[in-house]
Amino acid sequence: MSRWGMVIDLDKCVGCQACVVACKEENNVPHGSPEEQKSRREIYWHKMIAVTNGKYPNVRTEIIPMPCMQCDHPPCVTVCPAKATFKREDGIIVQYFRRCIGCKYCMVACPYGARSFNFKAQEAKAYHHQDEPPDRKSWAPWPFPVRTQGVVEKCTFCFHRIDRGLKEGRKIGTEVVPACVEACPSQARVFGDLDDPQSPVVQLLASRSSFRLREELATKPKVFYLSR
Amino acid sequence: MGLSRRKFLKLTAVAGFSAGAIGIHRRSHSLPSGQPITERALRGRWIPTSCLNCPARCGITVKVAGGRAVQIKGNRSSLISEGQICPRGHIGLQVLYDPERIISPLKRSQPKKGKGIAPQWKPISWDQAIEEVVGKLRTLRDTFRPHHLLLLSGLNSRSHEDLLSRFAEAFGTPNLVTGEGLDREAEKTGNWMADGHFDACAYDLDQTNYLLSFGADLLESTPPVARWLRKWGRLRREKTVRTRIVSIQPRYSVTASKSDEWIPIKPGTDAALAMAIAHVVIKEELFDHGFIKEWTMGFDRYRQVALQHYAPEAVSRITGIAAETIYRIAREFAQIRPAIAIAGKGATAWPGGCYTSYAIHCLNALVGSIDVPGGIFYQESPGYRPIPNVACDEIAKRGLEQPSIDLHGTEGFPAARVVTNQVPRSILEGKPYPIEMAIGFNSNFNMTAPGTGQWEEALKKIPFYVHVAPFISEMADFADLVLPSTTFFEEWGYDHSSPGAGFAEVRIKQPVVKPIGDSKSVGDILFHLAKRVPGGVTRAFENIGGSGEGFVRYRTSSLLPWEEFLKKGVWRGPAYQYRKYSRIFNTPSKKFEFVSGNLQALHKRKARGLGEGVAYVPHYSDAKWLGKEEQYPLILFPYQPLLTFENGSQNYPWAQEIFLPMQGVGWASPAEINSETARILNLKDRDEVWIESPFGKIRTRVKVSEGVHPGTVCIPFGQGHTSYGKWQKGIGCNPNEVIGVDFDLLSGQSTFFNTRVRVYKA
Ligand code: SF4
Ligand code: SF4
Ligand code: SF4
Repeated sequence: MSRWGMVIDLDKCVGCQACVVACKEENNVPHGSPEEQKSRREIYWHKMIAVTNGKYPNVRTEIIPMPCMQCDHPPCVTVCPAKATFKREDGIIVQYFRRCIGCKYCMVACPYGARSFNFKAQEAKAYHHQDEPPDRKSWAPWPFPVRTQGVVEKCTFCFHRIDRGLKEGRKIGTEVVPACVEACPSQARVFGDLDDPQSPVVQLLASRSSFRLREELATKPKVFYLSR
Repeated sequence: MGLSRRKFLKLTAVAGFSAGAIGIHRRSHSLPSGQPITERALRGRWIPTSCLNCPARCGITVKVAGGRAVQIKGNRSSLISEGQICPRGHIGLQVLYDPERIISPLKRSQPKKGKGIAPQWKPISWDQAIEEVVGKLRTLRDTFRPHHLLLLSGLNSRSHEDLLSRFAEAFGTPNLVTGEGLDREAEKTGNWMADGHFDACAYDLDQTNYLLSFGADLLESTPPVARWLRKWGRLRREKTVRTRIVSIQPRYSVTASKSDEWIPIKPGTDAALAMAIAHVVIKEELFDHGFIKEWTMGFDRYRQVALQHYAPEAVSRITGIAAETIYRIAREFAQIRPAIAIAGKGATAWPGGCYTSYAIHCLNALVGSIDVPGGIFYQESPGYRPIPNVACDEIAKRGLEQPSIDLHGTEGFPAARVVTNQVPRSILEGKPYPIEMAIGFNSNFNMTAPGTGQWEEALKKIPFYVHVAPFISEMADFADLVLPSTTFFEEWGYDHSSPGAGFAEVRIKQPVVKPIGDSKSVGDILFHLAKRVPGGVTRAFENIGGSGEGFVRYRTSSLLPWEEFLKKGVWRGPAYQYRKYSRIFNTPSKKFEFVSGNLQALHKRKARGLGEGVAYVPHYSDAKWLGKEEQYPLILFPYQPLLTFENGSQNYPWAQEIFLPMQGVGWASPAEINSETARILNLKDRDEVWIESPFGKIRTRVKVSEGVHPGTVCIPFGQGHTSYGKWQKGIGCNPNEVIGVDFDLLSGQSTFFNTRVRVYKA
């Protein structure tokens, strides 16, 4: 069984946020508003943070793109009372909306702020749907032509792409990658099987020094960063 | 709903659900079946076309499912950016499906015009709209006043630009004004002084080992943006030597944060720094002797100027950069080759900015980075099938003899090709003649040009103004008639980038979905109008394809077969040829000139305009400020973030919510102030302040920052819209409202950075 992971090269990353937008585009994640930003109710499956240190003129800001870290030891799964969030065999942590009771325990447990609560119903006249009118019969993990209000959502590593790619016999990591990886103009992102010594992710990790966010928490993220 | 659902689930047996979990787990490995919607979305067709959210005009492919555009990717066949696009490319979906697009022609019923006065639009039919426009156009020509027509062009496809200039010429008006005078005219003029190419530079980024950027936000606003974003990855980790990138600018931009070194410079002193670098390179004999000897002219004079006036110690006092730093970067620049020096807008959109561009371009010649691998490219143009020359009728000929109201090429702006911001002045003064009618194509100059107030006054004064765009804008608010045009998803066109890749490349623009409402493409509108303005105009539009689509077929038939173009979306010219020294320099000496022969020749032709004591060599002169330092102690230094759209709107929530990544905020345009300056002014984060210049004041919030020069206030462009749009109206402020109107006189470039302001609590 594969164990999917992602490597983000901060030396190549240009901070453009194409990854943020491409994720919303692919997964029909609702956009926010000024009010929602103020009350921190925006939904991002993939977000951007900027960490600034130092004093003028010796200042340094690191812009860090952040999908869900897809932890191998995911605290979000441990705390979920409804077993709505769980780990697939291939290591991807998914959220099953029909079973989520909206208790937000997972949001509290996640050390990376990777999860968002969907407060709102889809707008009647949305900018962009994956497809036409919502079909309520087709509630399932993906895609999300209709939004599920009142549940927690997060990045899925675009597992729908992976599943479909496998079914069609295509190579995951080269022919098929998550939307954020595909959209990254500087090609700072690489996706693949962490258990396959031949995979580009493993080889890239072997060639450069890397780190994971908040490693001390022993969550064992499967998203790695290459430093500058 | 969330709550009731939660209660409901609590009441139901949890056990039942965990049994389900196993089933779901297994099922999720394959595509859930029985989902017609899902299947259809997956099956969608990908159609190649071209983005027009900025002048890069990247090749894209759009996925269409069930008649709707649902996803956008770069077109992998387009090699300018190696098939990659910037985030705005994806946000094209929100441009297309902007719920507030105009769906029919609109006529104003409120006779009064002015900022904040609602025009009270009434929908009318296309027939009626065209009838009214044609009526006025005919009158102008029948009375031999075709030059009283002003055509304004914002961001349009190349094919539409070509049709527009044809229309202007055949009609007989010298007044087709683009927004280029707001953009890079000083840079182009500086290049022209040196090598005779009146164009922006293109750079061979695949092989360069050192980038020295003066005032250029390479990853935010330097065209073609997507090329920079892609090549950055290559510069860093896809070549044997990791390219060193040094970013010189007063603000710690995304580009600066991603560079190896950020050097904050005192605004407006880049020319001095460039000359100091030349000083070191020349003094230490680090220049490319071969190239200088064979292919340049005037080196001795240049050398003398650099050595005499620009020692790093002296320049350190001008720029605020330590002399040791200047020595170091000069040596790095000359020794890590191939190296490129880049002149950005932050360095050149100043009075005298063309000399700054000239000084920076000369650095490239010093280290021999001209037309070599890893150096400067001379962008090649695609060989479109030529259009027969316009056979002007008598009316047109007489109109075209008149000077243009932007005064380009006159004594005021001798080297200029377009002086966008002179237009409102000329209209208000009624000189050299009155403007009776104007048509704006996707323009929004009372938003994007410094001195928005003068544009508003001028627009008010134009008796009949027609605005053509997919949505209402600040400029449309002054229109008598608005014609809804299509977005780049719904129309035919061909496009090529601003200079970038060296080799020529053309992308098709084809309709991927049906036009929204009753919108028509700019091309089709021009054909409609031309047919109904008899004489030379009608004739000029005959036999060139007959419609927006036909015209694209006509023009690209010299490139590749139509079916192939539709399918692939891209035509690419031959690979770039380096070292064309014997034929590349368009200067009197046919060499790269450190003493500008082109400028000397111009001086001879237009002796009076240039005045006495014009310098023909690159040099620095003290910036001319708008506002006294005692009264206005800070310099307003605006900037353009990557997520600023260049189509005249910002009504796109995907862009708005992540507008400023460095500050982690969206939906806003805060004023960044250095922490030390803020302490002195007693300002804290998020304080409401007025930014006041001699020309007005705007209100915003403070962002205390470690990343801006202490003498500056930095505010982004893109916000401050007042006309329409749930997602943009009333958000942030527009620095152009307080920036003064000023020019680099040689090039006609609008200056953006020499306005002084004071900041105080609101
Ligand atoms: S990052 Fe957060 S949401 Fe993602 S797996 Fe880890 S704990 Fe769960
Ligand atoms: S798309 Fe790539 S380069 Fe752009 S911010 Fe995301 S990771 Fe960085
Ligand atoms: S760089 Fe410009 S043309 Fe290219 S995708 Fe971005 S907005 Fe579109």
